[in-house]
Parts: sequence; structure tokens; C-alpha cells
Amino acid sequence: MPTVRLRHAAEYPEPIRKLFELAKAWFNYDFAEPPAMSRVMAWDAELGAFHGRAMKRAMTPGEWTRAEKEMVAAVVSGANACAY
Amino acid sequence: MTNALNVVADSPLASLEPAHPTAEAEAVFAEIRAFYEVAEVPAVFRRVAADPGYLADLWGATRRAFDDKRLTRRHKEALAFAVSVTTRSSFGTAFHLGQMRRLGVGEQGVMEVLGVAQMFSSYTKIADTLQLEPDMGEIAPVDHSPAPGGSPRSAPAAPVRPPEAP
Repeated sequence: MPTVRLRHAAEYPEPIRKLFELAKAWFNYDFAEPPAMSRVMAWDAELGAFHGRAMKRAMTPGEWTRAEKEMVAAVVSGANACAY
Repeated sequence: MTNALNVVADSPLASLEPAHPTAEAEAVFAEIRAFYEVAEVPAVFRRVAADPGYLADLWGATRRAFDDKRLTRRHKEALAFAVSVTTRSSFGTAFHLGQMRRLGVGEQGVMEVLGVAQMFSSYTKIADTLQLEPDMGEIAPVDHSPAPGGSPRSAPAAPVRPPEAP
């Protein structure tokens, strides 16, 4: 159970809701609600925008493919014992 | 395996007597040098060389884990590098960085792994602090099936009654 109340997508202003749609496309997954992390980061839209763009840059294919980078992300999450 | 190697390699064990490897340990050392294409055997293997049987098994497990299979050594060194960065291992970070480069990963590739490790170390900390629940549990549930080569988890055994006296 989250330690904070996560806002529903409808509680965010329109520009943020558009970003949530982009997140859905990025993950290619039809979330019932935007990802919890997206909703948390959107609390401060400016911070969330910088952080989100940094994440997308980090995950964009380069010398490694997106799938290979997801694998790295999975082991980092595992090393940090993070189920999320 | 990465953590198993790093935990000893990063420990302040300088006051321990260095091992004097036997011929059996030297044979393992030769394999290690060939596998990694290094002149010097990594400290973690030298540290445990006093027990050549243990050294051989530790090395066997390491080689098995890092050898080319469905994932290449290049992939595995990158994953070990990411784990080492994440767990702040000086030995592991430097060692696997060297191995990544040896296996042809360029500076861009190194920076990409570093970026992913950094971003996800941020996300995981936020997620843990706020106790966020997975969003994609439907397609990526926790998998309780046995690891390859393992056996299914069996039900707890019934208590064994001690034999009765004749």
C-alpha cells in the first residue's frame, strides 16, 4: 500500500494527462491508470519532465537495444531489492 | 556471482596472510587468466586460493555463470558492471568495466549502462520509499516457478514420527 495518496489521472491538468498518454505509448501497455511512478513524478511537473526525459534518453536504443537496457534496469532493480 | 566475488574483493582483508597457491591452485589460476585475458589473477580468487578445492568450485561457478550461452559474455559483463555500480563495489565496477571494454563495448555503451543504472537506482528508491505497487503485475507477475534445473517447490513434509521402541 503506497505511503502517499496517488492522484488519479483526472486530477492532473490537461498537459500532464497528455504526457501520461505518451508514457502509455512508450511502454506499449494499456494501463488502467498511468504508471504510479509517472503520477508521482508529475506532482512537480518540471522535475518530472526533466527526469522523464533523462529516463527516455537513457533507455533509447544506442549501442545497446531497448531490450538489453530493460535487462540492465531489471538487474539494477533486483540489486536494489525493488519489486516495483 | 557478481556479489559473491565483490563481497570478498572489496573487504579490507589486507591483514590476512596472502595465500601460497599450490600446483592445483596454479592450474585454476591459469584458467582464470586465460578466460579473462589478464596477466594477474583477480584478487578475489587469489584470496581464497589457500583452499584449492574451494577455489576450483568458486571459479567453476563463476565461469559457468559468465560463459557465452543465450546471453553473451558481453551482455553478462555489462549486467555485472551495472550490479557492481549499483552496489557500490569498487572492485566489481573496475573489473567489469575492463572486461566490457575488452569484449568490445565502446565508451557510449558503457555510458548507456551507467545511465540506466543511475535512472533505475533513482526510480527504485522512490518506489520503495513510497511503497508503490507494480503497474504491470498482470504481464510480469512474480514468478514462483523453479529456476532452470531446479525442482518444483514441494509441500512441507509431514512431521516424521520417531521410531517406536520394539
